[in-house]
Amino acid sequence: MSEFIHLHVASAFSGHYGVTRPEIMVEAAASRGESALAITDRDGLYGAVKHIGACLKMGISPIAGVDLEAVDDAGLSLGRVVVLAHGHDGGLGWSALCAIVSTAHQKTRKQQNPAIKRSELARLAVRDGVALVTVLVGNNSDVGEAALAGDRTLTAERLKNWRKAFISTRALVVEITSHLTEPGSPFCNLQANRLLQLADSMGIPTVLTNAVRYLEPDDALTADVLDAARHLEPLGMFTPQPNAQAWLKPASKMRALAIEITQDQARAKSLIETTMTLADRARLNPQNDCGWGKPKTPEKSTLGIDGNPFEVLWQKANSAIEWRYPRASDNQLASIRHRLSQELITINRLGFATYFLTVADVTQMIRDMKIRIAARGSGAGSLTNYLLGISGVDPIEHELLFERFLSTERSSLPDIDIDVESARRHDIYREIFKRYGSNRVTLLSMQSTYRGRGAMRDSGLALGLDEDQIDDIAKNMWRFSARTFRNALGTKPELAALAQSVESDRQMNLLVDITERLDRLPRHISMHPCGVILGDATLLNLTPVETSGMGLPMSQFDKDDMDPMGFLKLDVLGVRMQSAMAYAVRELERVKGEKLELDEIPRDDAETFKQIRTTNTLGIFQIESPGQRELTGKHQPTEFNDLTIQISLFRPGPMKGNMIAPYLDGRHGFATPEYLHPDLEPILRETYGVVIFHEHVLRIFNVMTGCGLAKADEFRRNLENPRLAPQVATFFKQKAREKGYTQETIDKVWATLEGFGSFGFCKAHGAAFAMPTYQSAWLKTHYPTEFMAGLFTHDPGMYPRRLLLAEARRLGVRLLPLDVNQSTDEYLVQPAPRVTTDPNEPAFGIRMALTEIQGVSEAEIKRVIEHQPYTDVADFYLRAKPSRRTLERLATIGALDQLANVDSHTRGDIVMRVRELNSVVKRPTLDPNQPMLDFTVTERMPTGNAEISTEDRVAAELAILKMDISGHILDKYRPMLDAMGVTRSDELVHLRSKTEVLVAGVRVATQTPPMRSGKRVVFITLDDGHGCSDSTFFDEAQQRCASTLFNTKLLLISAKTRRTGVRGVSLMAENAWDLKALWENWQSQQRRNAVA
Amino acid sequence: MLRVDEIVTVAVDKNGQPIGFSWRNESFLVSAPPIRWFARREWWNEAARVQRGIGAGVLEVEMWRLLASGVTKAKSQFELVHNTSDGIWRLVRVFE
Repeated sequence: MSEFIHLHVASAFSGHYGVTRPEIMVEAAASRGESALAITDRDGLYGAVKHIGACLKMGISPIAGVDLEAVDDAGLSLGRVVVLAHGHDGGLGWSALCAIVSTAHQKTRKQQNPAIKRSELARLAVRDGVALVTVLVGNNSDVGEAALAGDRTLTAERLKNWRKAFISTRALVVEITSHLTEPGSPFCNLQANRLLQLADSMGIPTVLTNAVRYLEPDDALTADVLDAARHLEPLGMFTPQPNAQAWLKPASKMRALAIEITQDQARAKSLIETTMTLADRARLNPQNDCGWGKPKTPEKSTLGIDGNPFEVLWQKANSAIEWRYPRASDNQLASIRHRLSQELITINRLGFATYFLTVADVTQMIRDMKIRIAARGSGAGSLTNYLLGISGVDPIEHELLFERFLSTERSSLPDIDIDVESARRHDIYREIFKRYGSNRVTLLSMQSTYRGRGAMRDSGLALGLDEDQIDDIAKNMWRFSARTFRNALGTKPELAALAQSVESDRQMNLLVDITERLDRLPRHISMHPCGVILGDATLLNLTPVETSGMGLPMSQFDKDDMDPMGFLKLDVLGVRMQSAMAYAVRELERVKGEKLELDEIPRDDAETFKQIRTTNTLGIFQIESPGQRELTGKHQPTEFNDLTIQISLFRPGPMKGNMIAPYLDGRHGFATPEYLHPDLEPILRETYGVVIFHEHVLRIFNVMTGCGLAKADEFRRNLENPRLAPQVATFFKQKAREKGYTQETIDKVWATLEGFGSFGFCKAHGAAFAMPTYQSAWLKTHYPTEFMAGLFTHDPGMYPRRLLLAEARRLGVRLLPLDVNQSTDEYLVQPAPRVTTDPNEPAFGIRMALTEIQGVSEAEIKRVIEHQPYTDVADFYLRAKPSRRTLERLATIGALDQLANVDSHTRGDIVMRVRELNSVVKRPTLDPNQPMLDFTVTERMPTGNAEISTEDRVAAELAILKMDISGHILDKYRPMLDAMGVTRSDELVHLRSKTEVLVAGVRVATQTPPMRSGKRVVFITLDDGHGCSDSTFFDEAQQRCASTLFNTKLLLISAKTRRTGVRGVSLMAENAWDLKALWENWQSQQRRNAVA
Repeated sequence: MLRVDEIVTVAVDKNGQPIGFSWRNESFLVSAPPIRWFARREWWNEAARVQRGIGAGVLEVEMWRLLASGVTKAKSQFELVHNTSDGIWRLVRVFE
């Protein structure tokens, strides 16, 4: 007997504690011939599903447990113990473990660690006198503590208390662990030996573990850094781990350890034997114990169905045909019915009828709540989804394929993702819990991992670097994996300063090393932004839950764990654009009484496409980024399908696959489309012969080999796998030959398919995205005021709000200043007073909201709204009770202007009045029985203070609101810009290619997208009040302006224009300067000139 | 207690346990089972590099507590540090 099985192993999913990912741990154990391995993460089963999956893959038995704090009935800590689930008991052990973990999390207040009462633990550990779990009491428990102190009486008393709690069962063992520390310190041989002696004398079984935290001794360094992150203190400021012994030691070392602890060969042998016995008891059968891989859906009754779910689904879908296709011809109807039948047969064969009914039920529920909803992803390819109202995209019109979404070749539960208004997402979650019952629903969790900056920050804190220093380094970390930090030092110009200090500064050197170590380790668990798990009444027996940030229970499993566990996950994703559009529709109805069904607007509105083609796409879903704006200029979309194509092209896959240029060449007639074979022309006509969509590949396979679309999707997936691709090639070439295609055609088509690899995009995704893209463009074209109000309120895009403000001004939308009598917590559309004689002057504008005022509290905003309207400044002061700071800020930005007679009083007067009020030490309260103090009864507005210039107004707005409302930031610099001959962004489109220009503006976006060449390119977008200019910085330019590249806000850039299409122009940057510094120079020069 | 820091030559048995050593021109024989443990180092104050794969030697050292007597010296307790990566033994403490 040479085996040893580890029963106490923390994985990297023990946040800020474990170092090694479960898969790696399992592989190591299996490769040295161990037949089982446990995972016992701290406080939860966070890594358990990945562990079980890895064990299945490597052919060893999984064992699962948890390392948990126990408390007595008074809440006093009994230290940490390990709880292992028993296996092969029909899931009783696993579900007891889940219940124990959930209970430990339930009772805790915020900021208190999860813990379970010993009495509760003992109760959950047993059922009908049979132990479902084993509790391991060892060094970290109260017993271990007393043993270390050498107090034999106390140790015995404490262990007796444990035995008493578990008296009726055999669920208790003593855990013997030594990390070979200095005699007398925790985890020394002496402590282990004392526990062993005591357990033996009391007749309690003992097991040997190594309380593992990492795979290899080298990983102990990483564990040190994680300890610092957990303690929130630098290394050296807390007691660190004693040494590097907590690794997954091989059997030989564990046997030697047993002898060292027991000092007795025979006892050592029996210690290991009991360990193996417990291991056997805890081996899990994933299928029978954890419900591994078995799909679970809500019971029929909860969906309100009786009878066969498939029949219900059949009926529901068929009866919706008339609703979705009211004008279809008989022929069309026949083909619709045919396609539906095929889909339904597949769904039935896979046993997913209940799944589709469940999703349909949820979407109907959301619609009943009057919340905007749209499907996304491959689910849009399903006619069933369209008919059930799950998706709003017609898969027949857009030539989308069901097989890309679901086929009998795969049996994993399909993903249906639903986009809803972000502002209502939590309402929906609560409603789902209510509808299906909290025993069937939990939220999904998400493990965030250490990435570049985060890894560096925690490493810096561990080394005790000061925060400013850390911030400085973080600012210059752009697009590289922290795993290759040292490598990046030599290649990235903005890291040159850091690279230099690494050479001379030992601490910086260490910083780079430990940052690389932390990279990609799990960091902490949080609520998944959109996942909801829907199951049957047994759900909570299969997953442990803890409380999420929003208060609802959340599974400890993440999205990758769903499929293996057979959990139905519904992605209900909050999309701000949906909120913004819903807001626009509501404002339209509220203010103008116009009712608008956004989902039913015609999809071929010429005005909308004209507006898109100007490339002024800020605020439009999916196509507002600098890259998409440039592509819009080149592409010039004219119909809905163009949007689908454009959205799909601008994805990492198609970009890497170099699909954009050939497509544009075909579209603009620069090249004759190559269809490879006449049979493929109908498939590829829409993209001028370029294979872009997964759907294209499926159809080509199907046409040339007759394999059927389901099989075709399997081939498409295998294409990405270098091991399987050759088989696909053989099949394709042989079948195509049989079908009579020439060798030349076959070779050409195969070369295309092979090159396609993983580069394409699913058309259903693109089409689903194109819907909100079109809808938002339509709103921007026809109802700019309402739409921009929606954007301001819900802030959906990638740009700062002040840029949207500039865009609104450019569109002629009127911006109404903050006014405490009119402003609320939303950007309301309001009637605007006439200020010009222009008959086209819009009669409505957008009232700025109170929410952007720096330092304003939600309570203050609520009070301001509640007491509106106000008669004068004092009235506002008394009833809205703003803080002194907020009151002065409101006055400074003019929000109190309407409370004073602005004809006779300046902004300066109002600010003065506010300062008077603020100087009163004790704020008077409104009391009807008390006579008012003099100064509060009558408004006494001072006079004669200076008016504030527009420039100062803008400065105040920027300081207080971070937005420029009265004018544009750049206006102030205009004299200098004009003197320098700076080009306005809206003039660029009229310039020839290779014109040398200067552009200026506020930085609104910085991007470093992945490039085909692997070289880094930096894109900087500037806003100058007339639109945006997009500059590209290649290597040389990056070197020239490394200091301004990422950190300077106001920039002047010298560049050459490059025409890229009808309305496409981009700038090849040569250099960049800090505009503010130039301004100061210029001003002092002006002054000198004036003097001279 | 005497604090020293001197490299010593150590003889070990097949399990790697010290059986004797020489220090300051005197040979010492270990007279009771030695006690071994692993102590840690504050690598953040000492190490130049801690890159992945550098090994646990940056973090921990093997310590030995020996009861030994020499030709002239009576039985005393000695503490030795054994660097497992370069095999060097250093005598760090002598309890007389």
